[in-house]
Amino acid sequence: MSTTPADWREKSANQTRLAFGQALLELGEIDIDTVVVSADTQDLLGIRPYIARFPKRFLEMGIAEQNAIGVASGLATTGLHPFVCAYAPFITARSMEQVRNDLAYARQRVVIGAAASGVSLGVAGGTHHAVEDLALMRSLPNMTVIVPADAESAYRATLATRDIDGPVYLRLGGRVEEPPVAESSVPFVPGRARTLRTGNDLAIIACGALVHMALVAADTLASEGVHARVIDMHTIKPLDRDAILSAAAETGGIVTAEEHHLTGGLGGAVAELLALEHPTHMRMVGLPDVFATVGPTPRVRAKYGMSVEGILSACRELLGARR
Amino acid sequence: MQETRDALILRLENAARQVRRDVWRALRAGGSGHAGGSSSAADILAALYFHRMQVRPTEPAWSDRDRFVLSKGHANAALGAVLAQAGFIDDAMLDRFYGFESPFAMHPDMKLPGVEMNTGALGHGLAIAMGMALGARIRGQDFHTFVMVGDGELHEGSNWEAAMAASHQRLGNLTLIVDSNRIAQSGPLPELVNVEPLADKWRAFGWAVREIDGHDMGAIVDALAALPLEADRPSAIIAHTVKGKGVSFAEDTYLWHSNNVDDAILARALAELEAP
Repeated sequence: MSTTPADWREKSANQTRLAFGQALLELGEIDIDTVVVSADTQDLLGIRPYIARFPKRFLEMGIAEQNAIGVASGLATTGLHPFVCAYAPFITARSMEQVRNDLAYARQRVVIGAAASGVSLGVAGGTHHAVEDLALMRSLPNMTVIVPADAESAYRATLATRDIDGPVYLRLGGRVEEPPVAESSVPFVPGRARTLRTGNDLAIIACGALVHMALVAADTLASEGVHARVIDMHTIKPLDRDAILSAAAETGGIVTAEEHHLTGGLGGAVAELLALEHPTHMRMVGLPDVFATVGPTPRVRAKYGMSVEGILSACRELLGARR
Repeated sequence: MQETRDALILRLENAARQVRRDVWRALRAGGSGHAGGSSSAADILAALYFHRMQVRPTEPAWSDRDRFVLSKGHANAALGAVLAQAGFIDDAMLDRFYGFESPFAMHPDMKLPGVEMNTGALGHGLAIAMGMALGARIRGQDFHTFVMVGDGELHEGSNWEAAMAASHQRLGNLTLIVDSNRIAQSGPLPELVNVEPLADKWRAFGWAVREIDGHDMGAIVDALAALPLEADRPSAIIAHTVKGKGVSFAEDTYLWHSNNVDDAILARALAELEAP
């Protein structure tokens, strides 16, 4: 009952979290060392098909994120390749010490599939938003941090973790659809940013759900004669320095866009690099220094500028400031 | 020729005495350290590494080795002493305790051969050991996983997440040893947050429990021989111990949880740890 390409795309339903579960099904077939650890997240990550197919390589650890990370670390010491299925807000903030010591410091090959990131659980309220997870994970040596923008990227990123020596934080979305940002023929390689639109007037560097918004914003700008480069910076760590430095040198203006606090995430990472190596005019789209309000995800995003309009305003402001 | 029980116990008691001597030696090299918890754990560590566990000091990554995780990582001086005596590391490493860029630090670090996990942040080891035991089951390996926690460490709630899951998983290949010396950094546990009744807690969580005198080598050997204490259950050995065991001025006091060690203190400690 192996899955076909058509199957997984359909079953992922344009949601990165479900694409992760579909990719695990393929990994279970091709790698006998795959083991999946759940923190009461069997539907969240769409892993019931995996559990049915590989019951002996599945472990339910219940609502205990610290324990899930510790167990995954121990499993990895025996040569297995654990994938922890979890809620982004809980697996990062609550289990930070386990992630830091048991995974990053001990450099264990463990993948965290962190669904419901950002404000994707908008109506659940501030306790359930993960808007500092990139800052936490990015601060850890040995950690790889990947934010897929669509289901195709999430599927390929999950498969690609086999070749990563160390822990991986794979940031996944919630139940809001994440439309495709590229043809499936566009390569996806961890650590290598993807330029989805060319242009030299300015560059929008985005990750996750904001990549699609950046593309729409770039189309609008193009109709006004402004050619914005759009870079899908799916890997926040290690950062694709060359793509950023080239964009800075060739466009002279950078807008970053992410579903995360303005501190510590993608914008912070880009600003750190540019401040030292190529000071460049920047604007940053993301959540300011507040806990986000309650509401449907698109409205919560829009309230804080994480929208096509928000990206457009940032771009126009940047262009105006440079004139 | 088969080693008699008397000979075994005498050999292990001598090994444990050497571990304690090496603990104080390491602490002197570092200038300070955790004498209390290192000394309370010494007898059990000696029985594990010099009798019960299947390990290969010259091949520390041997995949079928028994695992030991020192969750109460502040007893690393004792672990280092055991690893040196067993031949995992050079004896001279004991003089590099706390040294600049030394792999032998205050807390266990995998840079030191024989150390299974970076520990010392309390409440981590049991979950990690459970993962090792689950890994053995999934991979079809027969090794046994041991993890030692302190009783004060059981204040950390993550232990109880692991306790619940390990019995649910029916991990007969996992053994927890509680080094119950009843004293933490700030004082006796009953004055901080009481952890008793410990045995009842572990039984309630579905573990098979045996309480022993953690300095009675015969009792330690017997408990380790009885594992798993019940089929398809994780085992908890609650070892009643004395913090600072073996050196009178360090015994049973929070003052020697961690303290400075100079030449005079080292001499006094070693004088009390002479072979009889």
